[in-house]
Amino acid sequence: MSPTQKKRFTVIGLVLIGMSIATFFALQAMQSSIEYFRTPTQVATDGVSPERIYRVAGLVRKGSVNRLADGVTQRFNITDCQNDISVQYTGILPDLFREGQAIVTVGKFDAEPTLIASQVLAKHDENYVPNEAADAVMLAQANKCDDADGPVKY
Amino acid sequence: MNPVSATWNFLYKTYHRLASPREFYTIAQYTTPVFGVLAFVLLLCGAYLGLFKAPADYQQGDSFRIIYVHVPAAWLSLMVYVTIATAAAIGLIWRMKMAFVVAICSAPLGATFTALALITGSIWGKPIWGTWWTWDARLTSELILLFLYFGVIATYYAFEERKTAEKAMAMLAVVGVVIVPIIHYSVEWWSSLHQGATVFAEGGPRMPADMLTPLILMIFGFMFFYGYALFIAAQNMVLNNERKSKWVRELVTVNINTTH
Repeated sequence: MSPTQKKRFTVIGLVLIGMSIATFFALQAMQSSIEYFRTPTQVATDGVSPERIYRVAGLVRKGSVNRLADGVTQRFNITDCQNDISVQYTGILPDLFREGQAIVTVGKFDAEPTLIASQVLAKHDENYVPNEAADAVMLAQANKCDDADGPVKY
Repeated sequence: MNPVSATWNFLYKTYHRLASPREFYTIAQYTTPVFGVLAFVLLLCGAYLGLFKAPADYQQGDSFRIIYVHVPAAWLSLMVYVTIATAAAIGLIWRMKMAFVVAICSAPLGATFTALALITGSIWGKPIWGTWWTWDARLTSELILLFLYFGVIATYYAFEERKTAEKAMAMLAVVGVVIVPIIHYSVEWWSSLHQGATVFAEGGPRMPADMLTPLILMIFGFMFFYGYALFIAAQNMVLNNERKSKWVRELVTVNINTTH
């Protein structure tokens, strides 16, 4: 490399380093707004304020799904296997909704506190499994909390 | 001479030949059809295996098959950007004409892959997640990448003088490369609706071989298609950039004489 080329190389390197540092601090500052959801444990630790819209994700707690008398409202618990949040949702649930499935619920808390969800999204994981193995995988998913000794990741 | 150093010498020479627009044009005459055929065969095999032979997913059914377009498009959107940034840096440091050509010709292709990833992701998200779009880290950063591609293209065409245009475009392309690791790690650094990595997951791919093979074929098919389209675009740009040079005039004259 000639001296001019070396100089250009250094300048580009420095620009990139500077850009990375700037981006790092910008992302650090925005950390909490980049996070897509909170976990039930985070909500339990921070407490709930009635005016805020929350996005909470958790596994659908086994045996917690209830359909209310009106036929379109469901109540269920979502959990990270350590803390539970009860959710009430009126509307059509995603196809993937079932016990042990990770879902994201969006809404405000009422006085109880129950999360009155305006939106329920399914958060499917990175595993792809052929149909034949479906039953075993679904069973394992539904029972995930039985042998978890702390909050699980999803 | 031993085979390793012979190969190295060949690659070294080819690389230097590629730096000359005229040599590049000649080499691309041969490589373009090869890349085209490879892309066609790989995409055909990948699509057949993916759509007809791979088993349906246990919870997503047949709708998971959109992965065979979505994942290759998303990978290429990142790979093409890294290519652009590398070429742009080489162009800036060594003032290599061809590096700028590669960078600017790749930008519309990368933008297309990014748009394709976003569109197929949206079509996939509606039935599986329950929404077309949401502002999670992965989706948002990929959208920023699309605008970055637009920015690179717009910067180049905003300048009348080509050398200024090339330098401005290259500088933006180099600086923008910080978005690539952000997109890649977005699903690990922050909570998101988008799931984590399947193919490069910890402890091996999280899908059986008969689902994974078509995906790998499609990814390589997309890569060769990118190479194929890039060669064609770069050849055109070289002819336009060098239109005043003797070899292009001769080439054009010969072609006119033979076709009329």
